[in-house]
Amino acid sequence: MHELSLALQIREICERELEKLPESRLTALGVEVGAFSAVEVETLSFCLQVVMSERFDGVRCEVIRQPGTAACSSCGLQFEVTQAPFECPSCGALARGVSGGDSLQVSYIEVESER
Amino acid sequence: MSAERVTVKEKVLSANDQLAAETRARLEAERVFAVNLISSPGSGKTTLLECTVDLMKPSLRLGVMAGDVQTRNDADRLIRHGIPVEAIETGGGCHLDARQVSRADLLFIENVGNLVCPAGFDLGESVKVVLMSVTEGEDKPLKYPAAFKRAAALVLTKTDLVPHLEFSLERVIEYARSVNPDLTLFSTSSYTGDGLAEWTSWLAGQVAALKRAQESAKSARP
Repeated sequence: MHELSLALQIREICERELEKLPESRLTALGVEVGAFSAVEVETLSFCLQVVMSERFDGVRCEVIRQPGTAACSSCGLQFEVTQAPFECPSCGALARGVSGGDSLQVSYIEVESER
Repeated sequence: MSAERVTVKEKVLSANDQLAAETRARLEAERVFAVNLISSPGSGKTTLLECTVDLMKPSLRLGVMAGDVQTRNDADRLIRHGIPVEAIETGGGCHLDARQVSRADLLFIENVGNLVCPAGFDLGESVKVVLMSVTEGEDKPLKYPAAFKRAAALVLTKTDLVPHLEFSLERVIEYARSVNPDLTLFSTSSYTGDGLAEWTSWLAGQVAALKRAQESAKSARP
């Protein structure tokens, strides 16, 4: 989608969080990306490294992939899915709908302070 | 020296989502049912809208916001049908966002032709409707699951062309339902008019349901 502008918004969120934590240094952040958020994870990881390193030295960027859940239309098995086609690993039938996997959020930050 | 992990859980698109929530609240208060139409380029959004407007204009107040990367061509086509049309030229942008969308019973938002990015941006609409023409291939729902997953309805367009194609309606339905079993399906041809009655009566039903919900919410207030 728009991974570079998403990375910039992620940096803004981190900066706002840091304002609440005086004298802290950002060391890591975690971003949760749903399988159906239309975001390319590799590109986002690359863009995050670029934009974060402009302001913060040595920050570790973790991109956490969030799968969706599908239910088999035939045997009813619930299984995790990250991409189509959504076929049941047990019986091979197609799913009856996919839920979840829509996340796109800053999950956590890690900071170090002199305290 | 101490290290700690701070839970944030803030949506990356929270600024857009907040604007969308404000737009949604305003539209609902004014009892405007807003449909965000999403599809690939050339699947027939503008043509379907022209037919829909002609059928529904006698009974409802309609409005259209038409997003295009460049030109006002889509908006100009719709203006000829005698309804208020707002053109949004994104100037290269491949989707609309909530900032660009701010009185009618039924408002259509014709998004930019693209099945990827428009799925990700909430505009504050009542529902997303995804369009897909029969010439595009049956596996569109599998290739672009985000758009189909978030839509309330799927409108198949150009069905008059089916006799000339190797196209299985059953397979599209199977693929679409594997992504989203709650999709309401419409098979339409703007050329012959097939299926347009079902589509417009579904829209009219949604408008009526919103009005009923708003009225009962109003009468429930002390």
